[in-house]
Amino acid sequence: MLEPILFTLFSIIAIVFAFNVIFRRNAVHCALHLVGVLLSLSGMFVLLNAPFIAAIQILIYAGAIMVLFLFVVMLLNVKGDAALLTPGGWKGFGFFFALIMFVELLYVVLSQGGTEGTPAQTIALPPGFGSPAEIGRILYSTWLFPFEVTSILLLIAVIGAVVLAKRKFA
Amino acid sequence: MDLTFLIASAVKVLIVLGFVLLGVPLIVWMERKVIGHMQDRIGPQRVGPFGLLQTIADGIKLFFKEDIIPSGADRVVFIIAPALPVITAFLALAVVPFGDTVHIAGHAIPLQVTDVNIALLWILGTTSMGVYGIVLGGWASNSKYPLLGGLRSSAQMISYELAQGISLVSVIVFTGTLSLASIVQQQEHLWFILYPTLFLSFVIYLLCGIAETNRAPFDLAEAETELVAGFHTEFSSMKFALYFLAEYANMMVVSGIAISVFFGGWRGPFLPPVVWFLIKLSLFLFFYVWLRATFPRLRYDQLMAFGWKVLLPASLLNLVITALWVGLTG
Amino acid sequence: MPAWTVPLEAYQLVAALLFTIGLIGVLVRRSALIIFMSIELMLNAVNLSFVTFSKQHAQMDGQIFVFFVMSVAAAEVAVGLAILVSIFRSRETANVDEVHLLKG
Repeated sequence: MLEPILFTLFSIIAIVFAFNVIFRRNAVHCALHLVGVLLSLSGMFVLLNAPFIAAIQILIYAGAIMVLFLFVVMLLNVKGDAALLTPGGWKGFGFFFALIMFVELLYVVLSQGGTEGTPAQTIALPPGFGSPAEIGRILYSTWLFPFEVTSILLLIAVIGAVVLAKRKFA
Repeated sequence: MDLTFLIASAVKVLIVLGFVLLGVPLIVWMERKVIGHMQDRIGPQRVGPFGLLQTIADGIKLFFKEDIIPSGADRVVFIIAPALPVITAFLALAVVPFGDTVHIAGHAIPLQVTDVNIALLWILGTTSMGVYGIVLGGWASNSKYPLLGGLRSSAQMISYELAQGISLVSVIVFTGTLSLASIVQQQEHLWFILYPTLFLSFVIYLLCGIAETNRAPFDLAEAETELVAGFHTEFSSMKFALYFLAEYANMMVVSGIAISVFFGGWRGPFLPPVVWFLIKLSLFLFFYVWLRATFPRLRYDQLMAFGWKVLLPASLLNLVITALWVGLTG
Repeated sequence: MPAWTVPLEAYQLVAALLFTIGLIGVLVRRSALIIFMSIELMLNAVNLSFVTFSKQHAQMDGQIFVFFVMSVAAAEVAVGLAILVSIFRSRETANVDEVHLLKG
């Protein structure tokens, strides 16, 4: 009984805040609404038996990546651009294309042809599904190589960010 | 999800809430008295016996002060920002076990508001969300000094989060669990601080915890003699009181985690578990105050250098050694 | 009281909607920072979709992929914001319409 209530709450918050992200003019307000979306998605992850992913969504996405966004917004003092709904340029095309994309996604999710690969009835989840122990076990055995590659990628990103943002004392 | 569970949880939430809200005035009083005596003066002594009601009097004064919102400040963010560190502090306190399981009327009720199996990750997550209160408070004030203070303070907090997390990871490697209740359970025979590598973890965790809560000697970003008052310059009345409350609540969180992970939680002979927890908490808070009275503050670049160049490599090395030790001894 | 469970298609719908909203943001907004945030929105919608699939098929691979998506997103944000900062330093604007010359 609790799950439908929580799911409705989280999804309404996520969608309303997502609309605010793209419609607001003040960049800091957009960032804060994005943090709200991330937190409600984290709640949905808990409902989907993924507590570890939910925790690291808060820890990494909402707690570090968005703080970085806020830092850049505040340091650059970016002024808002023109309001979204004023006609001009290719905005109409953008809306239209997104609408087509949405219709396609609806087809994939809802129709019979789109859901061929999904199992007919709900498969019972093994115990410990989504727990950190299970994730650790798989991450270090089956997915070891992508894990190591990701660590090198993060190192490259750190070096790249430092080099790109450095002031050149010429 | 039966009725007993709901009622017990509601009572525990009220207990934790009440404890923090009533404990903070006591901590403030203790701080002023202890720093006073360490500085060879007496501290508050007139308001109430031994000056105990001084903090209440200050709270009443703050309540009646005029609540000024600077012109050009972002109203909504300005009002919400002080609440964020308080919310995250209370959320983190929800997983700290403050006593053993009590048996009331045939039901076993663990003395912990909730026991999630990812408790340590939850705590790291909520403390990283606490940065928002600082950075938004600094920005929403629409003024130079708060903005600089807020950015510095939040940069300090996110830098020390890394070493804090990695020092806790070495404990996780050792115990094999993320749940605080089971970490306290595993300290039945020997407290974790008595193991050599975990002692180093404790030292790193404590230093990072002090930096996270912006307490002396790491409090450059909010000290009164620097940057006016840092990120909380423009906040008056209850908003300032909320930031103040958040700082002490965060001190309680750091102490509570350190107690549960390194000092055996509520374990101790003779006395009931809750009393032991309170004793250990008081000792930690006294240590916080002692540090403030004793050390001069670190300059900002010294602070950041210490966090990135000393604590982070030390915690990584500690993690490697702990992992080797656990792996070799099985 | 019957135990109503949320059908997993509902989660997919929410993910599709969030993805579309992010897509609108990328295509229509002119400020580079907001475009970045909309990309993050799209990545999160995909994460939700992956976790839902993981539950549908009762396999952990979806959650592992979310883990990787998050790390790659972190790396991308760091480098992307560094690029943005250096562009902003030299051109004083974050509007993508005005950054259309290779020179400078």
